[in-house]
Amino acid sequence: MSIITHAPDQASISRISNLRLGVGIAGLIAGLAAGIGLLSGGHATFNTSSLLTWGLPVSTYVFFVLTSTGLTFVASLAMVFGMKDFYPIAKRCVWGAVVTLIIGFISLGLEIGNPLRMLWVIPTNMAVSSPMWWMGLFYLTYAILLVWKFHLINQGDWDSSQSRIIGIASFVAVIFAHATLGSVFGMMSMRPFWYGPMVPVYFLITAFLSGLAFIMLFINLDYGVNHANMSEGAARAMSRQLPAIFGVVLGLVIVFTLAKTMTGLWSNVPENKIVTQYIASSALFQFELWIGMVLPFIMMLSSKRHEATTQVVAGGLVIVALFIGRYEYVVGGQLIPMFKGAWADDLIAYAPSITEIGIIILAISVGILLYALGDKKLNLSDSPRK
Amino acid sequence: MARWGMVIDLAKCTGCQACSTACQMENNRLPGENYQDVLYYTERAQPTPVLKWFPRPCMHCEEPSCMHVCPTKATFKTEDGVVLVDWNKCIGCKYCMIACPYGVRFYTDEKPTIEPNVKDVFPGTGDLSWNPPYKGPQQDNAHGVGIQPHGVVSKCTFCYHKISKAPKGTPDLSNDNPALREFVPACVRTCAPTARYFGDIDNPNSEVSRLISDRKGVRLLEHTGNKPQVYYLGESGAVPGFSRPDNKS
Ligand code: SF4
Ligand code: SF4
Repeated sequence: MSIITHAPDQASISRISNLRLGVGIAGLIAGLAAGIGLLSGGHATFNTSSLLTWGLPVSTYVFFVLTSTGLTFVASLAMVFGMKDFYPIAKRCVWGAVVTLIIGFISLGLEIGNPLRMLWVIPTNMAVSSPMWWMGLFYLTYAILLVWKFHLINQGDWDSSQSRIIGIASFVAVIFAHATLGSVFGMMSMRPFWYGPMVPVYFLITAFLSGLAFIMLFINLDYGVNHANMSEGAARAMSRQLPAIFGVVLGLVIVFTLAKTMTGLWSNVPENKIVTQYIASSALFQFELWIGMVLPFIMMLSSKRHEATTQVVAGGLVIVALFIGRYEYVVGGQLIPMFKGAWADDLIAYAPSITEIGIIILAISVGILLYALGDKKLNLSDSPRK
Repeated sequence: MARWGMVIDLAKCTGCQACSTACQMENNRLPGENYQDVLYYTERAQPTPVLKWFPRPCMHCEEPSCMHVCPTKATFKTEDGVVLVDWNKCIGCKYCMIACPYGVRFYTDEKPTIEPNVKDVFPGTGDLSWNPPYKGPQQDNAHGVGIQPHGVVSKCTFCYHKISKAPKGTPDLSNDNPALREFVPACVRTCAPTARYFGDIDNPNSEVSRLISDRKGVRLLEHTGNKPQVYYLGESGAVPGFSRPDNKS
């Protein structure tokens, strides 16, 4: 295995960085164009309805805030648990966590009816029986701590006791945040497809995988898909520990996915059985399982897992699989109409509208541009001097 | 304080939808926004199919899951047991719609169910999402009565603008007493075969209480624990489970 044998290949690094800027700007324009639909037609331009209420923007929100969770977990390996090899990628992870959180919030903010009203009605009404209220509280706390932590390490303060405490606090806050997000779905006993105490655990583990997949894809891209362009420490983390952790977590998620699918197919409850049958027989699910999870798992078992190219492919596939999985989960819980009788005699048909797709393109493009900005201005490869 | 509830006698109900129409008129509902609806179910297949129907308002649950999940307390329960939405507080997160097992909540800004879009024909001004030429109840955003503003969720109010004005201590609001007719919810008032009753279910002497106990009133989807305050009488008060049409299962 080669570790820093020659000077970084600046040409390929800047090619990728320019490509990223280009994609970000193009996406922003496309997203804004589609977003105009939202300005003129409001949420009536969505394909969601009173039968199926939460669609693509909500599943995108779930996907990105959980990715943020996962990136914070990886950063915490160094900053909370002292695994020093992870320091060289920690700052990138924290910035990535900030950016993915922003993507999630944009996606949600454009989905709900009166987002600004949230700012005062949520804190003044203390609706403590609502899982969503707790989710808001913990994600807000997490967001503040995360930005604070980034600010500290950006000033070179990695290890002061204040910096360590903020790091620990943001790690704890995000555990609660993702668990309450899990509860938003898992507590809904009237929707058996979602219901269950294991949902927060499922969210935890898929969040971790999501964070790892983002690192596999994006950090490798940042360095021109070549570990030799990284510092020695970063290259070591990327080629040795990360693929191993990624493989283990991916294996667990495959087990979870199979267990959920088998349980659903075996169950007699229509809301679980019929929906699982419907999802499992879709091409999207088959792609998610075999190409998006099993194939990357096999890649992680092979000796090529150390190589940047393998990691980029595996990371990219897992990201797509997780995105599909979030969508299936959020939409799946609503496919059987609540108490509609013959007015809706089959599963509800839903496919996102152009505006819904535009919103997520917009949110993701803002994220890409913020990340690119960070990459140019914030010295994301920094690590503690020692 | 009364605890308002409703009794629907399935043995009398003919499924005529007069209640739904009266509700649409009374509350300025748009097509598809059926605060009150009659749902049809078929049970079993040929040669012994059974057609069932349930007139379905909001159940004004004793334990309303819609209220428990609301992150802003926009959905609340009045002292007299009615579940309402405060449109001044609703952020339009739609979590209540996710959590209501009876599917009786509606978001303002949705694709129209028929063309032309009635909202475009009578465009709203200011805060109102549309502006019908005839407006029923007086606008009362804090109780979710009237025309919705944009971005909020609405639902059946048990005609709160009527029942809240009834004289205190009234056991039943029924057409039988001309002095009370103005306070009777529109669906109850219009039901030709008098299949609907409305009254104080905490008062053991009210007609609704007596009907529930004498005729063993049932609540729909009891397993959800929401404990509706709408009771059904008659032989067919259970909802068939969901199944897909044969060619798709
Ligand atoms: S029926 Fe639904 S909307 Fe009505 S009170 Fe019960 S949970 Fe809430
Ligand atoms: S949509 Fe409005 S009423 Fe419903 S849960 Fe959200 S804030 Fe509460």
